[in-house]
Amino acid sequence: MLKERLRFETLLSELSAGLIHVPAGSIDAALERALQQVVTFLGVDRGTVDVEQEGGRGVRIAWALPGLGESPHVMDAEQFPWTAKQLGRGDIVCFSQVDELPAEAATDRTSYERMATHSKVALPLSAGGPMLGVLSFGSVRSPRAWPAELVERLRLLSEAFASTLERKRVELSLAERLRFEKLLSSLSTTFSHLSAGDFNREVQHALHRVVDFLGVARGSLIEFSRDGGTAHSWAIEEWMDVGEFPWMTARLQHGDVVSFSALETLPDEAAVDRQSYRAHRVKPQMAMPLMAGGTVVGGLVFSTGEAERPQSDELVLMQQLHLLGEVFANALSRKQGELETQRLRQELTHIGRVSAMGELTASLAHELKQPLSAILYNAETAQDLLAADAVDLEAVREILSDIVADDKRATAVIERLRILIKKGDLEFAPLDVNEIVGEVAWLVKSDVLIRNVSMSLELAPDLPSVLGDRVQLQQVVLNLVQNGLEALRPPSAGPRTLVIRTARDGAAAVTVAVQDSGTGIDEKDMERIFEPLYTTKADGLGMGLAIVRTIVDAHDGRLRAANNEHGGATVHFTLPVERKDAC
Amino acid sequence: MLTTAAPLVFVVDDNPSVRTSLGRLLAAAGYAVELFESAREFLAREPAEGPCCVVLDVRMPGLTGIELQEALVTAGRRMSIVFVTGHVDVPTSVKAMRDGAVDLLMKPVAREEILASIARALARDTESLRRHSRIAAIRQRVETLTPREIQVFALVVTGRLNKQIGTELGVGEKTIKVHRARVMDKMQAGSLAELVRLADAVGVVVPGSVTS
Repeated sequence: MLKERLRFETLLSELSAGLIHVPAGSIDAALERALQQVVTFLGVDRGTVDVEQEGGRGVRIAWALPGLGESPHVMDAEQFPWTAKQLGRGDIVCFSQVDELPAEAATDRTSYERMATHSKVALPLSAGGPMLGVLSFGSVRSPRAWPAELVERLRLLSEAFASTLERKRVELSLAERLRFEKLLSSLSTTFSHLSAGDFNREVQHALHRVVDFLGVARGSLIEFSRDGGTAHSWAIEEWMDVGEFPWMTARLQHGDVVSFSALETLPDEAAVDRQSYRAHRVKPQMAMPLMAGGTVVGGLVFSTGEAERPQSDELVLMQQLHLLGEVFANALSRKQGELETQRLRQELTHIGRVSAMGELTASLAHELKQPLSAILYNAETAQDLLAADAVDLEAVREILSDIVADDKRATAVIERLRILIKKGDLEFAPLDVNEIVGEVAWLVKSDVLIRNVSMSLELAPDLPSVLGDRVQLQQVVLNLVQNGLEALRPPSAGPRTLVIRTARDGAAAVTVAVQDSGTGIDEKDMERIFEPLYTTKADGLGMGLAIVRTIVDAHDGRLRAANNEHGGATVHFTLPVERKDAC
Repeated sequence: MLTTAAPLVFVVDDNPSVRTSLGRLLAAAGYAVELFESAREFLAREPAEGPCCVVLDVRMPGLTGIELQEALVTAGRRMSIVFVTGHVDVPTSVKAMRDGAVDLLMKPVAREEILASIARALARDTESLRRHSRIAAIRQRVETLTPREIQVFALVVTGRLNKQIGTELGVGEKTIKVHRARVMDKMQAGSLAELVRLADAVGVVVPGSVTS
């Protein structure tokens, strides 16, 4: 008997020691193994740990002999009012036979009898704080005695179990907090580097991550436009059409949090919303207004589908949603800001392009009238030839092929003009800088001739391609050439030359230089020439070089101007070479 | 002397399509055509003898059409010019017309339009050619006169009588009468009025003569 007690002693201390080192994720399994060992040792039929959780729903860890059914929870006040009360007070409930139960435990006795429980010992689990759960052992096959010493040993075991459960609770909530922090910081990083073009994709991705984290079914981000309407919404599972939820949308726009766990609690004015929620099988929902700069920029909405969400989690969820809300609010306001900047930039470029066009209109009209003239001459000559008695078909054929060629020339002029004045989005593609320079040179050819300037191209062969927007980079070269031509306006003395040069700039960049033999740049203007609305010309807008800078900046390029040693100035811009390894 | 050769039209335009097509049109219309791609190239060609005109592009690299016209005027070369331009501005047009251009046409130009202008330009050139050759002929006759005859010629066309001329030159009236007959004969003038017209054409003046 002593030997057996010693063995039990040893088992208990081994179990207690072992539980201390079990990682939080394996605690349930370890407890189940411990229960099995104790049950086997004691020769009872069943051992259970019922873990209390906030919200009343518990988790059960149990081990029972094969063939035994599930036993009810002893904290169930309807079946076991007396037992629950005892345990709640911190007392141990213990009986060898149901007869031992006092008179006031009549209900409990009936329940135990129905379950065919002969003997039972139930110990409250507490680690100094509120009750964490109940540890109980039961015997159904035969009655069993619970000597005081054994109960005392089981109490020690219950303490070991309780501290292990407590550790698990703390570690899990810590892990959960860490996981949340990680999610939050990763989302903010993503959003802070987000360009407007990637926004939709990244928001979808972020919503998925948040939905997974919160363990909810659906998530939506709503963006409100400045005039108070809805600008846009992103959703997982495509369910959030804000038109269907007028009440919630209005509340959000008003800056209120909308939260409910059952549709019945919604007020009467939310009738439309209620219907939509029902149609979408939404039960509990949380909707959070997103604030930026004192205004509501959007809303963040999460909801579960069929499953009811425990009310008690709401506080934590609210806190998490608040933090997530800030991240999403920042993303929305950043996006709106960036779009605004982008729009301004495009507007600016467009203005620049149109004004450059104004300057070029005369020479382009000239360019277009050449093929039109030739076509008319040729066509009328053909008519003339066809009216003759002996038609010279060979001559007519030659004329027709010239007409076709000139028509194509005219089309090419119009096409280039159209590309130049097109106000489009940026389209980045691998580009040959020499090709761009060549196209602009073609465009300004007649302007250059009329101004009696000699223009030459010095293009480095085999340049690596750069990643950029063709039209915008054409604009850069065009503006720089226009600028150079302006500098060569009479009364500038000496030969009037303009050189466009391309070259490699190290391994990772390509540089384009536009060099003129004009009057050069006054040192006092040097600092400011790339600023908007700064001009040294009487009839200039001061936009040309500012546009150049905007575009070069948008291409991660560098721009600089310098006076030449022997008169005139050179403006260089450098663009990074397209990185083949970038994905 | 009449020539049977077709009138000559020069085309000066830097654009190859325009140059070729206009050349083709004019050749089909029966003209002899010469094409030039720059004003300088055209200036290098020796002046044409017979009736001719030039179709000139206003905007050209190097020497422009207007500058070419100026050079021709300065050199005193006879040339009927039809300007063709893609872009009309008032100062250029005024200058071109004042300097004697026949027409200034907007590109693209219809066949009838360019042919009408060319016909006008050629008519004007033919007329000025005729005037030029008549003057040359009169000059040739003047060159056959002796210095004394030239003096008499100059005084006769101012309307003086033989007697007055004799007094002025310190010669007898009879001698003047002989000189006068010789002048009429050499200048192939049938009447005094005709002689006056010939004098007008070449501008005969006697140095130091006094007019009353």
